[in-house]
Amino acid sequence: MASNTAARAAVGAAKVVRPIFSRDLDEAKRRVRELYRAWYREVPNTVTTFQLDITTRQGRDKVREMFDKNKHVTDPRVIDMLVIKGKMELQETIHVWKQKTHIMRYFHETEEARPADFLSKFYRGHDP
Amino acid sequence: MAGLLKKTTGLVGLAVSNNPHERLRILYSKILASVQTMPQDAAYRKYTEQLVNERFNHVKVEPDVEKLEKKINCGQIEEVIFQAECELALSRKMSEWKPWEPLVEEPPANQWKWPI
Amino acid sequence: MAASLVRFVRGGLGRSYNIARTSCLLQQQTRLQSSTTDTQPTVRPKDAVTHNQLAAFGEYVSEMMPKYIQQVQVTCFNELEVMIHPDGVIPVLTFLRDHTNAQFRNMIDLTAVDIPTRQNRFEIVYNLLSLRYNTRIRIKTYTDELTPVDSAVTVHKAANWYEREVWDMYGVFFANHPDLRRILTDYGFEGHPFRKDFPLSGYVEVRYDDEVKRVVAEPVELSQEFRKFDLNTPWEVFPAYREPKEAAPKLEAGDAPEKK
Repeated sequence: MASNTAARAAVGAAKVVRPIFSRDLDEAKRRVRELYRAWYREVPNTVTTFQLDITTRQGRDKVREMFDKNKHVTDPRVIDMLVIKGKMELQETIHVWKQKTHIMRYFHETEEARPADFLSKFYRGHDP
Repeated sequence: MAGLLKKTTGLVGLAVSNNPHERLRILYSKILASVQTMPQDAAYRKYTEQLVNERFNHVKVEPDVEKLEKKINCGQIEEVIFQAECELALSRKMSEWKPWEPLVEEPPANQWKWPI
Repeated sequence: MAASLVRFVRGGLGRSYNIARTSCLLQQQTRLQSSTTDTQPTVRPKDAVTHNQLAAFGEYVSEMMPKYIQQVQVTCFNELEVMIHPDGVIPVLTFLRDHTNAQFRNMIDLTAVDIPTRQNRFEIVYNLLSLRYNTRIRIKTYTDELTPVDSAVTVHKAANWYEREVWDMYGVFFANHPDLRRILTDYGFEGHPFRKDFPLSGYVEVRYDDEVKRVVAEPVELSQEFRKFDLNTPWEVFPAYREPKEAAPKLEAGDAPEKK
């Protein structure tokens, strides 16, 4: 898959590709900043409307974490695609189409970390 | 005259036309004028002119609506008017798109090969 | 003994049937003969009249719009397929809708096919119906994960939800769609389930957690290793598409009688 994408990127460099929205990286980055601001402003409303047990600060940190997760992406088209998906998520949040559970899924509260060292793997009994 | 023949077309959203000949005459001359701007050898122009001229002649020679419908043989006269309206809109868009030009891009190899 | 003889005759006929594709008359004769020896109610009989009609109409369309149409073919089941360049989605659909000799005013279906080995892995398929002439047509175009396709909503209102479905299931972005958002998956769902590289078991599993008093989603964990089954049939899957035989003939744009 990865090699496939790389090969396609090489082909894409040679021929002109159709942009999604942004023609260059700066424009794509501008869209990302716009989305980030929108999310940042929306966090307090989300916390109150969904009656979440988190502070605004925690919510904003989570938003920042989600954006940082994709900071290695440099292709404007990939950035655009991520921004589109982020906008759709934001819309779902603003219109309260989502429920509390969907918002809290970002925080992974109930997940246990995978055992890393030998002993904890041994205690867990099986090694998936 | 058509109003005396029938009260309704029986189709939702399609009202009975009072003067179909007049309407068709206007539409067909507009289509022909719009097609004039295209190059002579464009297939769309050739076939559309042929089709419209054929129908236009029927409209010119046949004053009776029912016989005209039979001659054109494409549904009620109101439907024929609707088709002409669509064709007119299409011909205007076509001169924008210029689809008679050569292929924009060949498909990648094996794009249409099935099964792989 | 008799059974083996019948089988032999059938095999022989099948072979001659393939060779005689070029001639319409011969084909019909073979069909007549084969229908006397074996009756297969599941096999659709050849219909040369419809086939020729569809081929003529396909040539007519490709002659009209050579800029966008890459290939036209009539499949063995008498289905007319038009392969177009992705730029031509709106022009071709509008032409087929508004042209007096086509009038494909109904969009029956819009979907995608994922073939990961291709350079453009997604095929977008439009099925149209013309009530006036009682015919169907299939338009095919292609795209990859990042190339947007023009939305057909301006031409056919019915495309709205179909495009949302394709976006949700395959991740193909439709430019200028009025309301592109998820339609089938749950909010917060990540990934596009109909892609061939999406695992059958998915990425998350959902359960009710009594401690936090809500439904939680966690990474899926299978207690047993995912078992691989050999699902390939020992039989030939596409007997109609054997390699040495020429494929469905590609129609060239030429002077053809127009279909009324």
